[in-house]
Amino acid sequence: MTSSPRSKEPSARGFALEKAVVSFRGTAALDGATLEVEPGERLAVVGASGAGKTTLFRVLTRGVALSGGRVTVGGRDLYSLSKGELKGVRRRIGSIYQAYNLVPQLPAGVNAALGEVGGMGALATLRTFLAGPDAALASRVAGALDRVGLGDKARARTADLSGGQQQRVAVARLLVQSPDLVLADEPFAAVDPVTTERVFEALLELNHEGATLMVNLHDVGLARRFPRVVALREGQVAFDGPPERLSEEALNEIYAGDDPHQEVVLPEPQGDGGPKEPIQLAEGRDGVSSH
Amino acid sequence: MASPRTEQPRIGGAVPRVSWKPALVVLVILGLTGWSAAGVGFDLVELLSSTGPIERFISGMFPPDLSARTLQTTARGVLETFQMSFLGALMGAVVAFPLAAFATGEDATVGASRGERLLRVVPYHLSRFILNVFRSVPDILWALVFVVALGLGPFPGTLALAVHSAGILGKLLSETLESVPSRPVEALRATGAGALQAFLFGRLPQAISGFTSLTLYQWECNIRSATILGFVGAGGIGQQILISMNLFDYPKVATLVGATIVAVLVVDRFSAAVRRRLVY
Repeated sequence: MTSSPRSKEPSARGFALEKAVVSFRGTAALDGATLEVEPGERLAVVGASGAGKTTLFRVLTRGVALSGGRVTVGGRDLYSLSKGELKGVRRRIGSIYQAYNLVPQLPAGVNAALGEVGGMGALATLRTFLAGPDAALASRVAGALDRVGLGDKARARTADLSGGQQQRVAVARLLVQSPDLVLADEPFAAVDPVTTERVFEALLELNHEGATLMVNLHDVGLARRFPRVVALREGQVAFDGPPERLSEEALNEIYAGDDPHQEVVLPEPQGDGGPKEPIQLAEGRDGVSSH
Repeated sequence: MASPRTEQPRIGGAVPRVSWKPALVVLVILGLTGWSAAGVGFDLVELLSSTGPIERFISGMFPPDLSARTLQTTARGVLETFQMSFLGALMGAVVAFPLAAFATGEDATVGASRGERLLRVVPYHLSRFILNVFRSVPDILWALVFVVALGLGPFPGTLALAVHSAGILGKLLSETLESVPSRPVEALRATGAGALQAFLFGRLPQAISGFTSLTLYQWECNIRSATILGFVGAGGIGQQILISMNLFDYPKVATLVGATIVAVLVVDRFSAAVRRRLVY
């Protein structure tokens, strides 16, 4: 029941925004953003705090109401899908966040298994809730946790893990889900450099396996490691192209109004044994945006 | 961001400056106090001058009656009260849980159709209404209702406690469920989890310790309530206290009341100790 869900469901690999408008109480977070992403692409999104980066991510899972324009995922209009169809599309989209967004009281293994929960029926859900994941899912979870180096932590309470470890559990959840489209919203903002590299590599691996990857970054240096960079400014796409074309001037334009000397406060790396130097932030412009 | 101020900003201290609003509030409170005191016939002189009967009552309680028969009655009463309070809290929790689950407001889902919203709104308001009725009728009134329906004894008392507990626990649990951090829940919904899945794996694990703690606290409240329910014939040690009072058997009242205090303290301590150990 859980082993081969991919074939039945439509792909969600490519997506497009056409003049998308999202407003929160009269303030437009996205103000006519247009963006087209081909299946299998890899791109970084940069922009000042409040430029609409997180909203761009939320609009792709229909997490916010759309007040204008069109959003298509896998060629289908996301905002006109039925509830069941929406679930199917969401199943194919994996997300990873700055704040991990795991359920802290559950064991790490169960959190990783939740990557698959969208594909379960009511009975399977209850069975998983009461007795834990079935054998097939359990072995996939074990494999995913192994891949992120947490093979021995499946039974550990997620809240007892360090921040870096929790982010790796979140990556394991992605691996279990094996989505077509990976949305990473500031995934490195709250983790140590070692975890950053590890998570980054895992995301790249998913991309190599065919998933489209969009990462929201405040660190422009990291963004330059992507073949395509999209910059948002005031809810619109201000730059879209290869990182070489992203000049210092263009960056200043993008971050205009954002204090470039603003101090970036990183949480201490927690017990991962990673080096304590701060992550490369020479080009980080907007600091850690709080969510 | 803010426009430049042209006048000198006044910050002020923690205590608000004198203005007509606090003065009005004080006047209203004073007025209410006087009106209520007059209404209930509050009389300090009467309280102080009637020390005689109180003295007689208290001195009449000593020495407490520690005869074997009284101790036996007391033990039976305490155990019955304990059983009533425990069962009441447990049954209340069992009834409260599904009602609370339905009474938990799910965040507005974007693009839900009218029918879907209706499907969610009807059980929400229905369970809220049931919980309100359960809660707003005091347990002693529920006891009267059940005594009329089922006759005297601890069973109607237990049911009364269960119904009232369900009302209180249902409200508190639904509030706990609503106030858990919503981002993990949203993260699940974003990967295609349905309402049941988001509830079971997102909300419930985050709320379960809180719910356990609330249920234990409700048990503490129940053992205090259960001592009173006997006054309307709904079992427990209160019934014994009432009988002894009516017979002017104050030494026996002393034993019964003393045992009640001990039982309440024991349950309080036990429940508090368990609640302290709960991991959130």
